[in-house]
Amino acid sequence: METTAQSGLSVRKIVVAGVLAAISILLGYTRLGFIPVPNLSGNATIMHVPAIIGAVLEGPAVGSLIGGLFGLFSFIQAESPIFKNPIVAILPRLIIGITAYYSYAVLKRWNEYAALAVSGVVGSLTNTILVLGMAGLFGLLPWAAMLPIVPQAIAEAIIAAIITVAVVAAWKGIETGVGGGSRKV
Amino acid sequence: MEEFEFVRNITIGQYLALHSFVHRMDPRVKLICFVFLVGAITFTTSYTANAILLFVVIALIRVSQIPIRYALSGLKPAVPIVILLAILQITFYTSGFAGGSNCVSFFRWGPIDVNSCGVQLAVVSAARFVDLLILTSLLTFSTTVTELTLGTEQLLAPLQKRFNFPAHELALTMTIALRFIPTFAEELERIMKAQVSRGADLGQRGAFRFIQQTRSLLPLIVPLFLSALRRAEELVLAMEARCYVGGRGRTHYVEFKSRPSDFVALAIVILFAAGILLFPFAY
Repeated sequence: METTAQSGLSVRKIVVAGVLAAISILLGYTRLGFIPVPNLSGNATIMHVPAIIGAVLEGPAVGSLIGGLFGLFSFIQAESPIFKNPIVAILPRLIIGITAYYSYAVLKRWNEYAALAVSGVVGSLTNTILVLGMAGLFGLLPWAAMLPIVPQAIAEAIIAAIITVAVVAAWKGIETGVGGGSRKV
Repeated sequence: MEEFEFVRNITIGQYLALHSFVHRMDPRVKLICFVFLVGAITFTTSYTANAILLFVVIALIRVSQIPIRYALSGLKPAVPIVILLAILQITFYTSGFAGGSNCVSFFRWGPIDVNSCGVQLAVVSAARFVDLLILTSLLTFSTTVTELTLGTEQLLAPLQKRFNFPAHELALTMTIALRFIPTFAEELERIMKAQVSRGADLGQRGAFRFIQQTRSLLPLIVPLFLSALRRAEELVLAMEARCYVGGRGRTHYVEFKSRPSDFVALAIVILFAAGILLFPFAY
């Protein structure tokens, strides 16, 4: 039997990736995804959270797709020299979904909630470390200047973990009918 | 109520309908040119090459008939951070791009080391930023979002055949994302108004109120994600009900045609980018 030509991604994966990428871009446009903090970078971000959630729900490919689109928009929209560089803005974001997915997949058997929280933290740290690492390699930011960003990175990781747990737990509750979520359309 | 109005303020794509050569270029060729120029800007380190690149991107803006102040509109809010970064780079970098082989030190006091490499790093980083700002504006002002999406898909299509790279899927994801941004903006407005009417304090923005900010964010973000995922389910159902199959053999409503002048432009850009990257500039 001849199979239809489809390169691995189901309709569901494409749609979920598109929808979550839309949220990521929207958070950037409305500046809701930026939380002002008193340090050099000026803003903590939650724009990478859709990539983590996408990876947890539909796998690493979806996470990468969302991360890639988020990176592309942050490159085009960038108001800071740090992100006006494709290697800093796009490349690290492709990896967020992959690390987030695998940390979730490994820990899922042990405890679902812990797995979600850890994948939020891991995804978030992947973003921070790789972006700053690339910025450092390109000489955009001296390594010493990155020290004040550490508390922000921790805060971002915690926020990402909270949102990931809240959203995925609520969504899976709705899907299976447990957890008291009502399905409104 | 003004702080809840997102839909009105969101403009996706900044296309300016003009009739310049840049506007009429085949989007696929334009994207390749864009990638080569971004590459040249990102990887060159010399003063001379950056001056040439700055001249070239300004010339391109002139050719495209886009008002230069439009292209530079993103520059003003970025000035403080550019200056701050430049100061950091000048004072703390002991070695620049060259790895510190022949830096001339001007001033040294404790950890502070002002030398020629740090200065070069600061100047080149700022120039790169301006170049890329103009270049990305040039692309978004001269190409519609649809052209960009279809162009990307058709450029990546050979990769799909050879390596199963999901080019079509990527384009579809991009289209869905762009289609849903206004819908979600509306949704977000509704959620905000609903939460405020229940007494939620969405808080004032400020650098020292970030804990309060974060807490007020959760009752907005979580419902937004859930409603988005719900919409995704509906769209999946609708697409599967219509037997959607992506990938190979799909035809397009819009077909791009390259003209000879497109290839000439492409050849010039590739030669120029290669020249910038390979020519041994003295400074």
